[in-house]
Amino acid sequence: MNPHQKNLRVRFAGAAGQGVQTAADLLGRAALRSGRFAYAYADAESRIRGGVNFSQVRVSSEPLMGVTQRCDLLVALSAEAQARCADSLAEHGSLIAARAAAHPRAAPFDLEQLAARAGSRAVASTVGLAVACALAGIERPICLGVVRERFASGGALAEKNAQAVLAGYEAVLGWIRQERYAVPARPEVASRHLWIAGHEAISLGAVAGGVRFVAGYPMSPATGILSDLSSWARDFGILVEQAEDEPAAINMLAGASYAGARAMTATSGGGFCLMCEGVSLLGMIECPAVVVLAQRPGPSTGQPTRTAQGDLRLALHAGHGFFPRVILAPRDVADGFELTARAFDIAERYGVTVFVLSDQLLQDSRAVVPPFDTAGLPRARHLLQPDQLKAMPRYQRYAQTASGVSPQAAPGSSRHVVVVDSDEHDEDGHLTESAEIAARMAQKRLRKAELIRNAKLLAAPEPEGDLDGRPLVLSWGSTYQTLAEARAVLMDRGGDFAHLHLRQLWPLPADRLKSAFERASSLAVVECNPNGELAGLLEQTTLTRIDHLLTRADGRPMHVDELTERIESEVLR
Amino acid sequence: MSVRPEDYASRVEIAWCPGCGNRPILEAVKAALVALDLAPQRVVICSGIGQAPKLPHYLRVNTFNGLHGRELVSACAVKMAAPDLCVLVHAGDGGAYGEGGNHLLHAIRRNVDLTLVVHDNKTYALTKGQASPTSDAVEGTRVTVLGAAAAPLNPLALAISQGCSFVARTSSALPEHLQEMIQAAVRHRGFSLLHVLQPCVVWDRVHTYAYYRERCEPIGARHDPRDARAAFALALQDGERIPVGIFYTADRPVYDPSATSGLDRPSRELPVDPDRVRDRFSRFR
Repeated sequence: MNPHQKNLRVRFAGAAGQGVQTAADLLGRAALRSGRFAYAYADAESRIRGGVNFSQVRVSSEPLMGVTQRCDLLVALSAEAQARCADSLAEHGSLIAARAAAHPRAAPFDLEQLAARAGSRAVASTVGLAVACALAGIERPICLGVVRERFASGGALAEKNAQAVLAGYEAVLGWIRQERYAVPARPEVASRHLWIAGHEAISLGAVAGGVRFVAGYPMSPATGILSDLSSWARDFGILVEQAEDEPAAINMLAGASYAGARAMTATSGGGFCLMCEGVSLLGMIECPAVVVLAQRPGPSTGQPTRTAQGDLRLALHAGHGFFPRVILAPRDVADGFELTARAFDIAERYGVTVFVLSDQLLQDSRAVVPPFDTAGLPRARHLLQPDQLKAMPRYQRYAQTASGVSPQAAPGSSRHVVVVDSDEHDEDGHLTESAEIAARMAQKRLRKAELIRNAKLLAAPEPEGDLDGRPLVLSWGSTYQTLAEARAVLMDRGGDFAHLHLRQLWPLPADRLKSAFERASSLAVVECNPNGELAGLLEQTTLTRIDHLLTRADGRPMHVDELTERIESEVLR
Repeated sequence: MSVRPEDYASRVEIAWCPGCGNRPILEAVKAALVALDLAPQRVVICSGIGQAPKLPHYLRVNTFNGLHGRELVSACAVKMAAPDLCVLVHAGDGGAYGEGGNHLLHAIRRNVDLTLVVHDNKTYALTKGQASPTSDAVEGTRVTVLGAAAAPLNPLALAISQGCSFVARTSSALPEHLQEMIQAAVRHRGFSLLHVLQPCVVWDRVHTYAYYRERCEPIGARHDPRDARAAFALALQDGERIPVGIFYTADRPVYDPSATSGLDRPSRELPVDPDRVRDRFSRFR
């Protein structure tokens, strides 16, 4: 094993429908049960059958959640997948091919033959899974266990898959010394940690944040959230509605929120564009809302199944007119849980829309993470309660307050009526033609924006590393883990720079950023888009020039090696 | 204590034209809600943009005055989240059949228990007289800035063809019938479409109060509203006489928020408990 390498990187590649993602999912689950960490990301085409998809899994003794390009094991389920992914194989790596391959690194067996012996060529991916498990050092009963659970309802297929596991383990025995790839186990991981996808973490975060109403229209890569919450609806008491279109979804969200439900939607760029009028409505009526914007490359339909961080300024400027808003972006799977849970509290506390910016990479990634900590999460509702309302001689939905926040009452909770209007309105919520009232309401929304700007919504961002006289590299969203890992590699090599990651993208802590920028020797921003969404925003808000923009704009995530090289050659030179 | 008309009295000055066809609808809604003994705090009126959607401001009532054409979807969500409240929607012909046409189709499918009252004056009145989806194509009947209209939509035939739970027509020119229809629509469990023919006293000199009074004819007692074919024939009836009354009612499953969510309380009363997610952790191991 390469001494610098603390993990086994397995790439399952094949046609859509061949079980690539299932194999990756089960490898991670087996890794967890055996006391190992795992991280997987998915690369898929926009089709249901055929083509070449792959999922790359890292099995490790320490949490390693950066995106990697090279693999130690390539499990190729089709000739096309083998051809397409062959150059991802690391120098010392092995190819496990569907059919005997004339490749110097090929294993002396082929998956389809073993699968056929197990009962069906369709279980070739399970043979590949078993080979990967065996090489990682995962005990056979664990692999067998996760496979049996997954195919429990499959009848004869369940038995064939079980046979496929046995065949895979047997094939490895007669091949190479298993120690070559084995990953040491950490028993404490097995009993506590979770193997969970980004969309599941965000969905669970929504539940922790008290979501009661979800409306959405399916669109990759946001759909996972709608599916999760729909399948959990009864267990957690959530109203989930598949809307006829995105305008319906956002206007349903507004109605539900007005009625006192914690409400959210999840969509991607094109769908979000259709929602923009509703975003402005929410700003005007000051109803709380959570909008998960799971980004994919644009413009227009772009690359439906791929990843990008291209919509930061879309979220910032969506909707006509001025109104306050908050933009959060989870940095990894676990953060997806926490930020989404907090988004609901922030939304209801201030009566604003909180955007949670995810992307395809985060949505479809899976990771072994510690169980989510719920102890520190907010648990108060901020609606006026019936006894408070009873004591009020009069209720005004848009009462002028010093903070700009007017306490929200839900209709039906008292003798008072609750009036909201998309027109400019008076304190009671009735439409007004008065210039004086209109100016007062604009001021009220502005005060609220100031309040939010000065509020501590999340812990302040702290740079990793000493930034005095050193380059400062900034990032946001799903690039965090990859950049953190690239930094660790470079620090080992003697390269020194600080890393500042922003989880709250709006309001930006402009003063804090300015003072950090003054101390650093140069500034770089890493993001997956062609133009530098964050870089532009930082320049605009801090009036400081960003020296280096490290972007990737082909719909694929940045990976550790690539980022390491680019920082070394462009930032540290 | 029973509900009185004064309970619905609003301080907001009415910004409709004198003699506007919306005025009798406002009076009829108020009278209907009082007659149904529904207190203002138990009622939510949703509306969008235009003249008709100003209606809830002229009542003291829970009001969601949202976006043009989107009022119906917002109303569905209000009812889902607060099933204990009575929900009405007031939209014009532009909002209900133009901008919101797609939402109407799906509201019929969804069958949430609420009432959509469409104020149809066959014109875009607040934007000064452009054609609406229900404008007559015949030349010279009305003022259109944008020239000849496309063929008019038949909302009743459309709704009946899709099995809409309750379909009725009335007119601003028939105040008593109007009130009776609003009460019937609100009482009906499921999605109710009430189409109200109303004059526009500024942009349309043809479809006056007298025009509708002369032509509207109550549907006879022999009509069975559960007979879809008969209802459809009635909706397609062309000529001098305009049938008014209940065209169609369908006994369809009504959207039940508790069925999928298990919720038995309005969402506004529900607490936040982050610890609930812990039960789910075992699924991720």
